[in-house]
Amino acid sequence: MALLELNRVSKRFGGLLAVNQVSFSINEGVVAFIVGPNGAGKTTLFNLIAGVFHPDEGNIHFASKEISQLSPDRAVHLGIGRTFQIVRPLRNLSVLENTMLGAFLHTRSPAKAAEEAEKVLRFLQMGNAMHLPARGLSLPMLKRLEIARALATRPKLILLDEVVAGLSTSEALALAELLRRLPEWGISAVAGVEHVMQVVMRMADRVIVLDHGTMIGEGTPQEMVRKPEVIEAYLGSKYKELGL
Amino acid sequence: MRRAQLLIAILFLILGLAAPLVVRSDYLFQVLFRVFLFAALGLAWNLVGGYAGQLSLGHAAYFGAGAYGLAVFSKAGIHPWLALLLGVLLAVLFAALIGGVSFRLRGPYFTLATIAFAEVLRVAAKNLAAVTGGDVGLQVPGLFVKSSGRSLYLAAVLLTAVALCITAWVSRSKFGYYLMAIREDEDTALSVGVNATRCKLRALLISAALTALGGGLYGSLFLFIVPDQVLSIDISSEMAIVAMLGGAGTFLGPLIGSVILESAAELLKNIFHEAHLLIYGLLIVLVVLFLPEGIAGTLAHRLRRKSAIAAPPFKAPGPVSS
Repeated sequence: MALLELNRVSKRFGGLLAVNQVSFSINEGVVAFIVGPNGAGKTTLFNLIAGVFHPDEGNIHFASKEISQLSPDRAVHLGIGRTFQIVRPLRNLSVLENTMLGAFLHTRSPAKAAEEAEKVLRFLQMGNAMHLPARGLSLPMLKRLEIARALATRPKLILLDEVVAGLSTSEALALAELLRRLPEWGISAVAGVEHVMQVVMRMADRVIVLDHGTMIGEGTPQEMVRKPEVIEAYLGSKYKELGL
Repeated sequence: MRRAQLLIAILFLILGLAAPLVVRSDYLFQVLFRVFLFAALGLAWNLVGGYAGQLSLGHAAYFGAGAYGLAVFSKAGIHPWLALLLGVLLAVLFAALIGGVSFRLRGPYFTLATIAFAEVLRVAAKNLAAVTGGDVGLQVPGLFVKSSGRSLYLAAVLLTAVALCITAWVSRSKFGYYLMAIREDEDTALSVGVNATRCKLRALLISAALTALGGGLYGSLFLFIVPDQVLSIDISSEMAIVAMLGGAGTFLGPLIGSVILESAAELLKNIFHEAHLLIYGLLIVLVVLFLPEGIAGTLAHRLRRKSAIAAPPFKAPGPVSS
C-alpha cells in the first residue's frame, strides 16, 4: 500500500516554478532517495510534504489522508518526521534533551521521554554523547542529532533533507547503513541527496530524479543510472563509462 | 544542582517569612516588599521572556490591569479581594488578545508589538477619565485592614512562593521543554509537533495572571494609582531587567536579580539622589556586556563545564560494520 502519494504537485514562488507536476508514491518499509542538483526542488518538495508550504496545484496523500493543507506540527502528529538541510539543533539543550523533544509527542512524562530518547540515541550510536550540549557537536554528530529528534517522534515516514551533505564518504556510508535499518522500526524514509551516488546506489530501494523542479525519472537505482535523460541531465557521461 | 536550587529558594522564602519578627521600620518593610514583589514579577516575566524566549516589554499592561481592576471594580462596590480577582481575569483577557496578535511576530517585531499594546493601554487609561480617573488618578482600597504594610509584605512573599512553585513545575515538565524548544529554534520546535503559538499563549496567560496579582498588591500599598505609574514602560523594563540580571530562563535568576537590583536601587537612591538612575543604567550595561546569561546562568554554565570535564572523554562513533 502506498504510504505517501503525490499527485501532479506544483509549487510556484513568484515567477519560479520550484516544483512542476511531480507525481510519485512510496510504499511502507521503503527507503527512497530523491536525487537532484542544488536547486532541483528537493527541499521545496520536502517542505510541501511536511506542511511548511502548501501545493499550488495537485494534492498529497499520506496514509490515505489528504494532507495538502496541513500545518507542520499537525503533519508530525500524523507521523511525518523531518530533518533540516541546515542543521537546527536546540543549541543550549543537551543531546538527550534535544531528542526528548521528539519523544514528548507521545508522552507527558519527562522520564518516559528520556527513556525513549535514550533508545533512539543508542540506535544512532550517540549513547556516549547524550549529556553534551548540542552547541559543541561536530557536523556528523549534528546530522545524527537531527535524525534522532525526528526518529523520537516515532514517525511512519521520515524526510531527510540533504542527509549526507558535508560528510565525508565514509561518514556518509556509515550513516546510510543506519538508515538502511529504519524499516526494522517500521519507518519509511525519503532522503534527499545531491551527489553522493555511492550512498544512493547502495541504500536506495527507489530513486526519484529531479531536475529544475521536474521529475525526470523514477525507479530502482540500477534503472535510473541507465536512463539516458538522467545521465544527460545530471550524472554526466562519466557514469555511463563506469558502467554502474 | 536542582536540589541545591530548590533549597536556596526555600531558604529565601523562610527568611522572607521570618523578617517581620526582626524588622520594625516601615521604610525597611517597603524595601523588602519591593524585593519580593519584583522577584515574583521577574519570575512571572521569566516564563515568557526566559523559558519561552519571547522578549516582552509590555508586561505593564497586565500589571496595570491588576491594579486598575482592583481599584475600578471595588469602586463599583465589589469586595476588594473579588475585585482583585476580576483584575486578574482582565489581565488574562488582555494577554489572550495581545498574545493572540503579537505571537504571530518573531524577534524584535514581537517586542515592539508588546510595547505598543502597553502604551495604547496607558494612553487609553489617561483619557478614559470616567472609568480610570485619567491623570488625576484613582484610589485603591487596602486589601488588608490591620497592619497593612506588613500584611502586604507577607502577601508579596506568598506571591513569590507561588511563582517559584509554578516555575519549578514548568522547568521540569513537557510544557517547559516545549517552551525552551521554541526559544532555541521555533522551526525546529514545529518540526517535532510543538504547537508554538498555543504554548507561548499559555505561558503568557500564566505570566499575566501572576503579574496582575503583583499589580494589585502594588496598588494596594500606595493606595493611589495613575496611568503613568502602573502602566508605564518602567514597570515592563524593570520586570525584564530583574530576570535578565539574575539569569533569564533559570529557576533562581529572577530571585537573585530582584535582591540585587532592588536593594542596589534603594542604596543608590540614598547616596546619590537623582544620579542613581545613571549608575543603575551603567550596571545594566555592564551585565549585558559581561554576563549576557545573567548571574545564575553564568554560574550554572561554569558548574556544568566543570562537571563535563570530570566526565569521561567522549568517543565519536566510527563507521558501522554491516
